[in-house]
Amino acid sequence: MQAVWKLSKYIKPYILFAIIAPIMMVIEVSMDLLQPTILQHIIDDGIAQNDTTYIVEMFGLMIATSLIGLIGGIGCSIYASRTAVNFSTDLRQDLYETITYFSNSSKDKFTLGKLVTNLTSDIEMLQRALTMLLKIFVRGPMMFVGAIVIVFFTARELFPILLVVVPILAFCMYYFTALSGKLFHKVQKVVDVVNTKVQENLAGIRVIKAYNRKNHQIDQFADINTQLMQRSMSADQIIGVLAPLTMFVVNMGIVAALWMGAIKVDNNTLQVGVILAFINYLMMVMQGLMSSSMVLVQLARAVPSAGRIVEVLEEKTELTNSSVSESKKIQGSVSFENVSFSYLKGTESVLKNISFHVNAGETVGILGMTGSGKSTLVKMIPRLFDVDSGVIKIDGLPIGHYGLEHLRQSIGFAPQKATLFSKTIADNLRYGKSDATEQQILQALQTANAQEFVDRLEAGTEHVLTQGATNLSGGQKQRLAMARAFIRKPNILVLDDVTSAVDNISEKAIQRAIDEQFDGATKFIVSSKISSVRHANQIFLMDDGKIIAKGTHEQLLKTSELYNEMARTQAEKGVTLSE
Amino acid sequence: MNKQQGRPPNPIGHPGGRFTGPIVKPKNQKETLLRIWSYLRIQKVELISVVIFVIISTILSLVGPFLIGKTIDDYIVKLDISGTIRMALILAGVYIASSVLTWIQTFVMIRVSQKTIRRLRQQLFEQYQSLPLAFYDKKQQGDLMSRMTNDIENLNAALSQSVIQIVSSFLTIVGTAFALFYLDWRLALVTLIIIPLIVYATKQIIKRSSVNYKARQRDLGNLNGYIEETISNADIITLFGKEKSTLVEFKEANEKLRGSAMRADIISGFMGPVNNFMNNLGLSLVIGTGAVMAVTSGLTIGVIASFVTYTRQFFRPINQLSNLLNTFQSAIAGSERVFEVLDEVREIEDIEHAIEKSRFKGDVTFENVEFAYESGKPVLRGINFKAKAGETIAIVGPTGSGKTTIIQLLTRFYDATGGRILLDDEPLVHYKMNNVRDHVGVVLQDTYLFSGTVRENIRFGKLSATDEEVEQAAKIAYAHNFIKYLPEQYDTVLSSGGLNLSQGQRQLIAIARAILEDPDILILDEATSSVDTMTEVHIQKGLNNLMNGRTSFVIAHRLKTIENADQILVIKDGQILEQGNHDSLINAQGFYATLQNQLMAN
Repeated sequence: MQAVWKLSKYIKPYILFAIIAPIMMVIEVSMDLLQPTILQHIIDDGIAQNDTTYIVEMFGLMIATSLIGLIGGIGCSIYASRTAVNFSTDLRQDLYETITYFSNSSKDKFTLGKLVTNLTSDIEMLQRALTMLLKIFVRGPMMFVGAIVIVFFTARELFPILLVVVPILAFCMYYFTALSGKLFHKVQKVVDVVNTKVQENLAGIRVIKAYNRKNHQIDQFADINTQLMQRSMSADQIIGVLAPLTMFVVNMGIVAALWMGAIKVDNNTLQVGVILAFINYLMMVMQGLMSSSMVLVQLARAVPSAGRIVEVLEEKTELTNSSVSESKKIQGSVSFENVSFSYLKGTESVLKNISFHVNAGETVGILGMTGSGKSTLVKMIPRLFDVDSGVIKIDGLPIGHYGLEHLRQSIGFAPQKATLFSKTIADNLRYGKSDATEQQILQALQTANAQEFVDRLEAGTEHVLTQGATNLSGGQKQRLAMARAFIRKPNILVLDDVTSAVDNISEKAIQRAIDEQFDGATKFIVSSKISSVRHANQIFLMDDGKIIAKGTHEQLLKTSELYNEMARTQAEKGVTLSE
Repeated sequence: MNKQQGRPPNPIGHPGGRFTGPIVKPKNQKETLLRIWSYLRIQKVELISVVIFVIISTILSLVGPFLIGKTIDDYIVKLDISGTIRMALILAGVYIASSVLTWIQTFVMIRVSQKTIRRLRQQLFEQYQSLPLAFYDKKQQGDLMSRMTNDIENLNAALSQSVIQIVSSFLTIVGTAFALFYLDWRLALVTLIIIPLIVYATKQIIKRSSVNYKARQRDLGNLNGYIEETISNADIITLFGKEKSTLVEFKEANEKLRGSAMRADIISGFMGPVNNFMNNLGLSLVIGTGAVMAVTSGLTIGVIASFVTYTRQFFRPINQLSNLLNTFQSAIAGSERVFEVLDEVREIEDIEHAIEKSRFKGDVTFENVEFAYESGKPVLRGINFKAKAGETIAIVGPTGSGKTTIIQLLTRFYDATGGRILLDDEPLVHYKMNNVRDHVGVVLQDTYLFSGTVRENIRFGKLSATDEEVEQAAKIAYAHNFIKYLPEQYDTVLSSGGLNLSQGQRQLIAIARAILEDPDILILDEATSSVDTMTEVHIQKGLNNLMNGRTSFVIAHRLKTIENADQILVIKDGQILEQGNHDSLINAQGFYATLQNQLMAN
């Protein structure tokens, strides 16, 4: 609930709309509430007195109230939508901005999938709830209370009926809503199971066919399918009872009104029109109650969404820009001094006391098993993470002293996962250098050995990639991701295991091209294959967060047992001929 | 296949308007309806009783207001207490009967609908299991998913609710009209004036709303797509310092949505107040005219009372009917999409008197084999080779050359369109398909694992395997080494697709699965991307154990594997370019030798 309060500041700019909307709704409901009373007067005063002018006047009044009601309703719809849509749009913008500047550990904490949900369905949910709040949450209760109050004042003789009917109605609605909520929750669980099953069977269809497991899968599905039927049936049945039941209760109220009304009319304490008006008010009481309960369910669902969003908005970004932001051109010498780092404070360090120095223009190979910390090490250079202890220096200056933007501008980084955007190939490359010329794009593609396959595409560099670039092979994606880093012509080039899916012939070609094109740049090449780093000026062999051996290929062959073993197994495995 | 097929992804929802979006129109309404009927026909008795109940309960609900008016005129106004009580009791009886009948009809209809839905879902699932792979090449998984979920759910909603509502709304409208005219034709005419107004207003709003709704869905789709892509590629944005330009792009899309969402919301929000106004207007007309008539031409108060209640009953179904028909139409369109899949041709059937063998030697011969997914576009041409039992055949060639297709013909995922394939000197198509697949083991490059335990995933190779057999297979496959370090060992639950294991580990499980199956012929797709050196060594050892003594076909990428093969088939553009072992191919100085030289030259 506190979260809801915190989000209310997004309504503030539209506070006028947010006030007008309910007022308009109050007008609509008031007019609705007036109708049966006017009706009563027409019958009891107009017809009974044979007063045609009075009737016509009242008729005019009825039309007028209808019109005023219409204006109220439309006004409410306009202002409620304005408030809600503006609210959600502003909130989405802020939320997106916060997430964009999230540090990596915040992203890990919330997970990317959840952040997407926050931005899409959570905000949608809040928008819908706000619209409802401004419209129906005013309409429902007001109709309910208003009708009861009017009956109390104008038809007090029949009021006892409400005292019986309303609690029964309220109880039925509460009970059935709660019960069906529980049952639908159970249905949803089976639905999830069914969906997972179907999805898996579609994705794994080749395995199923290869192993001839069709009947096995069909039997499995039949079980959950039947379960789904049974659970949906019982949930639907509960909902199916509610409508006839409430109708029944209300109708019994009508019967009671006629019965009691007849006696009172007989006693001359009641007029016929009152009975008629009462029946109308009874309907309103029911409608009011129903829509209020519906809105309550919606609002209850929106509260957790608000909580999740506030949590994201209040997350602090960890990286801070230094006050003295150095912007001199980076030459490219990099040194680590006793650097340690852990993803979560208090857990085991991923990097332990790393120290090294690399001169500008040198090539460094970083070798190690999965989980040895080699990827983390290179991610420290563009400050994707900040050190726990120790210092990282570029050109002798701690990296914190450079402006974050300037620092990252100077680094060409091709990450392990070759993620590309659903744009053209040229646009993807321009991500690395927004003002790149056609010539530079072709050059970068050539360096990454990607020109051949790009040329074969019908649209060439204007070929539009699908989301996740699903129609490219792993090797092709890696080549494009590399080209995107190359096009920046950076002074520090980081290639994080980017040739794992590239065949050996092409990899060699790429290595040669890098040597030619990036002679002056400091190059960090992360790999699990010795062949990728063999010619580096220095090779770091990493294990368990530490550099356990350092040196050239030849030196390491002499000094490191592990390096020798890797060389042996990799030679045994042999080179790859094709992708 | 990168174009979106079928429907766009489901909208995440739309705010509380009373409008549910543009209608998806079915292509062949009549035929589809008949087909839905063929499913419902089995429960004919239930359906007929529902229809009878609907008719009775609708008539009863029409009797209610009539009785109210009568009670007022004949008893209350005449101060006949005992008569009023009698009438009240009759009215109560009518209401009770109507409620009970309404409840029964919903009850029965829900059962009918759920049973039908279950049958349809089961059929669709069985169809998914029986369709040839070519079908899956054409269709997107998401599209097939939505047929199973959204489309079938739409039909459910239509069957369990809309059918009754449509019938009863229709009956109510007709019945009420009759009752109104019976009570007083002049007042009835006045009431009916309002109907064209309602229809017109609704149509206008839906028309405008539809356009705006589409725009809103388009903008929302764009924005959500942008969000999804940029958030999941957030790393790149950070690395390349693109935060500002991303925010600008986002803002543009967000502002676009602000405009279209506002218009769509506001207009669809008009539906409620406008309907409300029409109802009130109708009521005012009835009362006003009725009262004047009461004074001038002796219309009774009771008739006015009946009219008031009837008008309320009258307008509601008219308001609802167009919405209901829309739901129903999209349900029919959904069923059409389900039937479309059910009508697809199933996988190749066995020929008559197909042979079954308990064991195969493993001799495989391709004689002039041709294959084309689409006629006129051959993927394989004139493939000839002979693999003797126990041999390892390496298939080498560039991506898209047809390597995978050769393998898929062996598992009968597809049948050759020309020439023939012999297994143990008998044409492959003479065997029962299940028999062949039971004895051909496949380890694909990208291994698919099902959600469930590691044990269940290995047991997929042989459903009757004991726990010991499963573990034994895992040991032979060198998978035991990593499984024993998993939190629950063999009972560790894997998520869908086995995503919590590394690619190498997944492959080890697939090898264990194949070992458990104990096939006579083995098909392997060698992984290209490098995994951990240790895992790699394990995979190699596991594979060697698996291939031992079986005829093995390997789509090979590694030089080592190729060198060790008994035969190498070099495939290019759907043809065998060169054929022989490593030494003979090197001596031949052809394509293979050139590749080799290129590799050595570096």
